[in-house]
Amino acid sequence: MNVATPSVLNLTELLSRVDNDRELVRELFCIFKSVFPSHLQRLSDAVAKEVPQQVEAESHALKGMLLNLSAARAAAMADELEKLGRERKIAGVKEAFIEFQSAAETLLLHMESVESQR
Amino acid sequence: MKILIADDDPISRRLLEKTLQRAGYDVVAVPNGMAAAKQLCVQDGPRLALLDWEMPELDGPAVCREVRKRKDQGYVYMILLTSKGLKTDIVTGLSSGADDYLTKPFDSGELKARLRTGERILHLEGRLVEARENMRFKATHDSLTSLFNRGVIVELLGREISRSRRERVPTAILLCDVDHFKSVNDSHGHLIGDEVLQEAARRLLLSVRSYDYVGRYGGEEFLIILNNCDPVSAPRRAEEIRKSLSDTPVQTSIGPLSVTLSMGVHQTENWGPRSVEELLHEVDGAMYAAKAAGRNRISFTKPDISSGADQFAPTEPAQSLG
Repeated sequence: MNVATPSVLNLTELLSRVDNDRELVRELFCIFKSVFPSHLQRLSDAVAKEVPQQVEAESHALKGMLLNLSAARAAAMADELEKLGRERKIAGVKEAFIEFQSAAETLLLHMESVESQR
Repeated sequence: MKILIADDDPISRRLLEKTLQRAGYDVVAVPNGMAAAKQLCVQDGPRLALLDWEMPELDGPAVCREVRKRKDQGYVYMILLTSKGLKTDIVTGLSSGADDYLTKPFDSGELKARLRTGERILHLEGRLVEARENMRFKATHDSLTSLFNRGVIVELLGREISRSRRERVPTAILLCDVDHFKSVNDSHGHLIGDEVLQEAARRLLLSVRSYDYVGRYGGEEFLIILNNCDPVSAPRRAEEIRKSLSDTPVQTSIGPLSVTLSMGVHQTENWGPRSVEELLHEVDGAMYAAKAAGRNRISFTKPDISSGADQFAPTEPAQSLG
């Protein structure tokens, strides 16, 4: 087990943040699933067009949402993309985006798993 | 307490909204900085605010700067809430006028504790404003009757005469003196005299409109300014004011006392070049004429409006009522 790897979804931490309100967790997941595709599309466009300012802005917005959801792994990857954008770097952005996309897909699966357990 | 949340991230906004509602706050949530600035700059807007840094239209620091430009409203305690966490960001945020700074994701215990700090500061500001207002009231009002004091009522008279001249609208000046007040004090003591003055003040205030002015001019003298009072209405209104005291005895702690007023009235819109002091001298003359004519009555001055700039109207009463 790699202890340095951030968790996909730290449900304990999230529940603590919302005073154990599972209904609110469900609502937050629902909000995330509704707004995430458009953010991801804009980030994808920015990466494809190599516009670092837009990469920075979109990944910053995604990082904020993911941190609130205690989705540390995807948040860390969004943070990496944000840093590359802030430093106006093009090299490595596409690779970082692919990793982020993969982490986000895993997160969505975890969310569905958590919801189905209820 | 009302609190504003401004965050373009719907997850953060909902999370904060729910957390603060649970903590007993009355939450107003908006999705951008422009809406936040609008809410915070209205007179009865929220006094506590949690502002995201990155927002469309106006960002969090810009909202802080907008709110701090306003000097005519109570203090707004603002906390910037963002995933920016560098020292330079903190300095920038606080320099924009924010009071505090929290990084996302927030800890609800820390958030509530910091909001309580904000509430303490707002409460302290409320007490300071209250103390300042009390001092302002004491500096402008007579301590016995709570009417305007002499300095303020004379200043208001000056302003009103200027307005009357400028807009050519009539104004009436009424100088009232409680009849035989010295004998009230001599016979019943100063405490009873004070009760009479307080009740007289109360009745005078009740007998004028909200935009007229009543002040304590001297010991038992009251000065009343009736704005936009035409020549037909002035005698009627002066008579109503006189009767407000004479018609019903004043209830004091030693029983009812019959109290009357003598009144001098000066009414016109054509004041000529007279100073406030000269006008007061004239109306004072009319008031003494009412006394001389038997008290409990009204005397009017008769301004000579056709005369030149340095002419003075006689102070003899033109008519008496009562």
